[in-house]
Amino acid sequence: MPSLAVSRSVEESLTPQKRRLRSNSTAAPETPISAPTKRKSPRRCLESSPSSHPTVSTRNDSIGPVSNSSKSLAEELSEDFSKKLNWNPSDASQVSAVKEALHVSTSPPTIVCREEEQRRVFDFCKACVEKEQSGSLYVCGCPGTGKSLSMEKVSNQLIKWARDGGFEPPEVLSINCTALTSSSQIFGKIVDNGYVKVKTSGTIAPLQHLQNVYSQKQQSSSSKMLLIIVDELDYLITKDRAVLHDLFMLTTLPFSRCILIGIANAIDLADRFLPKLQSLNCKPLVVTYRAYSKDQILRILQERLMVLPHVVFHPQALELCARKVAAASGDMRKALSVCRSAVEVLEAEVRDSTNNMDSDTQGNSVVKIDHMAAALSKAFRTPVIDTIQSLPQHQQIILCSAVKFFRGGKKDTIVGELNKSYVETCKSRMIPPVGISEFLSMCRVLNDQARQSRGDDKLKRVTLTVDEADINFALQGVRFFRNCLQ
Amino acid sequence: MAVQNHARDAQNLLRSRLCNPSFVFKALSGSPDSNYSKLKFILSSSVTEACNNSLLLLGPRGSGKTAVLELVLNDLLEEYPDMISVIRLNGLLHNDDNCAFKEISRQLCVEHHLLFSKMASFDDNSQFLIAMLRECGLAHKTIVFVLEEFDLFAQGKQRLLYSLLDAMQSITSQAAVIGISCRLDADQLLEKRVRSRFSHRKLLFLPPSTEIIERLLQHILLLPMDSTLPNDYATQFNTKLESVLADERFKEILKNYLSSSSTINHLLRFLFVAVSSIDVKSGYPSLDNFKTALSSFRRQPKQECIKDCSILELYILACIRRLESKEQKSYNFNSVMKEYKSIHDQFQTSDDYARNVCLRAFERLLQRDLICFSDNRGQGQSVEFRPVKCLISHFELQEGIKAYRSCPVSCFLHYGFCYSGISLLAGVS
Repeated sequence: MPSLAVSRSVEESLTPQKRRLRSNSTAAPETPISAPTKRKSPRRCLESSPSSHPTVSTRNDSIGPVSNSSKSLAEELSEDFSKKLNWNPSDASQVSAVKEALHVSTSPPTIVCREEEQRRVFDFCKACVEKEQSGSLYVCGCPGTGKSLSMEKVSNQLIKWARDGGFEPPEVLSINCTALTSSSQIFGKIVDNGYVKVKTSGTIAPLQHLQNVYSQKQQSSSSKMLLIIVDELDYLITKDRAVLHDLFMLTTLPFSRCILIGIANAIDLADRFLPKLQSLNCKPLVVTYRAYSKDQILRILQERLMVLPHVVFHPQALELCARKVAAASGDMRKALSVCRSAVEVLEAEVRDSTNNMDSDTQGNSVVKIDHMAAALSKAFRTPVIDTIQSLPQHQQIILCSAVKFFRGGKKDTIVGELNKSYVETCKSRMIPPVGISEFLSMCRVLNDQARQSRGDDKLKRVTLTVDEADINFALQGVRFFRNCLQ
Repeated sequence: MAVQNHARDAQNLLRSRLCNPSFVFKALSGSPDSNYSKLKFILSSSVTEACNNSLLLLGPRGSGKTAVLELVLNDLLEEYPDMISVIRLNGLLHNDDNCAFKEISRQLCVEHHLLFSKMASFDDNSQFLIAMLRECGLAHKTIVFVLEEFDLFAQGKQRLLYSLLDAMQSITSQAAVIGISCRLDADQLLEKRVRSRFSHRKLLFLPPSTEIIERLLQHILLLPMDSTLPNDYATQFNTKLESVLADERFKEILKNYLSSSSTINHLLRFLFVAVSSIDVKSGYPSLDNFKTALSSFRRQPKQECIKDCSILELYILACIRRLESKEQKSYNFNSVMKEYKSIHDQFQTSDDYARNVCLRAFERLLQRDLICFSDNRGQGQSVEFRPVKCLISHFELQEGIKAYRSCPVSCFLHYGFCYSGISLLAGVS
């Protein structure tokens, strides 16, 4: 689609300055890889129309005839694997290029796996602009599924389409509700940004002003449509839900000219908090962004890595990452962060091996499965077991005596009882117990580490916050504690 | 005389070293596996490669998280002057979002020599933060946000965390967010939106192993050869110290001390007391210094209090214990007297004192804080009627009575009576 190529070039011109500055700085050496066009993928180049951006031709031709879009993804990947250059992890500029490609803040040239949802939103907005009607849309989904990113793309797309199609391009206003001190400030923001003509002075409330403006026929019939994108909509939920209602009701007023897109995490926000709209027959259209599946995560990662001329990841390592993240949460940010830390694991290994003068691992390393497994375990594991094993002996005895005490089905107790249990445990194993003041300070330390929660006085309640199974597992290596816990 | 002066100077030098956290933690920063090098790698990569990073430093209190971070920041500021600005926030002080944003703006203004207005609203401050992040990103300056007591920021709506971590997701900013917390599950406290934006990097500060402790002891306690102290004194000091450190008994003492808490801060406190108890006349350290340090940390203040009590006071405490064991939750002086009389009626001991004498002993116990009033209400009532509670646990009382210099056996047996329930011989004292 020609509009996609054009929109990409516009996007390039919007943010070229940082790229240029970065490549001009003395910190990183200049290589052909760090040219401003590094974000373009070779597949895009072949598909784009003749009117594409002139800088395409300066692209490094070492990719070769890789991307014939009729082949399947797996075949393409294995071809890439064999034809691409090998990656040298000890070269700092290449490592930084990889990390940049995998960083969350780098927005990819196109957003894959979200075409269906983007098309729905785009069609809805197109219809509203064509008919000059207002409408509301609600986008929901788990964090890290690409909602805010897609909305940006759709709004750019819409402006281009309107310009090409001869319609008046709408004004776009994005608001993030976490930046508002009180929920009713949102109306002030809409008015302040000058998109709604302020005819009178500021003596009436912004909400009333908006309602007045939208209830009367406009004098000038060519006023622009307003596209409002409201992010993190659930910050506007108050006890009486007035603000949320009023916001969505703005689109139902007879002469309203705003298209409202709300983004939040809760799937049923529209049903739960906006029941009145249903009776007025203007319930917002709901577009759900489901969590990414394994294939989708894999595709997105590969798309991002296409821009690099080297092979960085073993295909199985990427698959492991995609599988694990998809099973856990389907959050794309997590997948990117895990890949970056896998690169760092490889970097550390290469550094150690160069320190040890081990020459056969240089120049031939990609991120393999064991690197990825190490990065995944770092990201997904909680440090509970490690910290219990590293506690000093008396604190471990306190935890054991707490486990034994709470085994009887009690949920919490007072510190004095815990002390009694602790002293009994110590005496049964011929270890001198510490005094009450040291016991209390140890309890305080455990409380700070969130192993037990307690109060300050001897009579306050204590409860165990760590699972008994974790304590059993952590301390099973020591015979003393094994006997204790039986 | 000269030796005494040298010893005093040596003491001062060691004490000043122990109170200086950057000196202490420099010893641990050598190995590539240490937290220092990992932290330095992450921060320097975010300065040079301009990628945004967020991480958490977790560990019990006193394990050196802030000290290591300060070391790393000082080193980076020397390496890359003018490329880093540091913003420090504390969860105890800047818990409220408004307060936190104001503090961030104030620190940014001070850093860049701009004028800060106290009247700026929350909106203005957040816009200023976003604008500054963009400007610093264009100028390749990294802003490092240090959030101490990170778990306290995770209360409420977590707006500050969301704004900071969201700013790190944008391409125009160049920043790093470092959270320091003693709660090991600090990242579970984050809301799911904030947790999604946080890159799950955690550095754990676990208690040091024995090799690290030995290295630390040598680094801190051995006198340097190039100080103001004369060489022969310093060498003799060092040899004496090394012989003490290699002694098996010293290792026992150290293991005993560290079995209750093994953070570095704890160890430093122990060393401080040991260094302060070096005998200035002899001028050299010995094993006894460490023994006195251990015993000073293992003091039981309430048990020592029992040692100074009179026999009548011990009786009163034993009566209070008997009342507690009979499930009587609240008692006052009159009920204690009744119990006391019942013991004497039963066992005909020779320790029968008059009521006003007992009242004096009771008041002395109150003053010494071994018992106290259980509520603040009856200020006008006399001492005899107000309910009291006991502030010393029965273990401590039992140990104290056992260690008492001339405790009458009857008192001891009466005390033991409420737990064992055996009948006892009357009139033994």
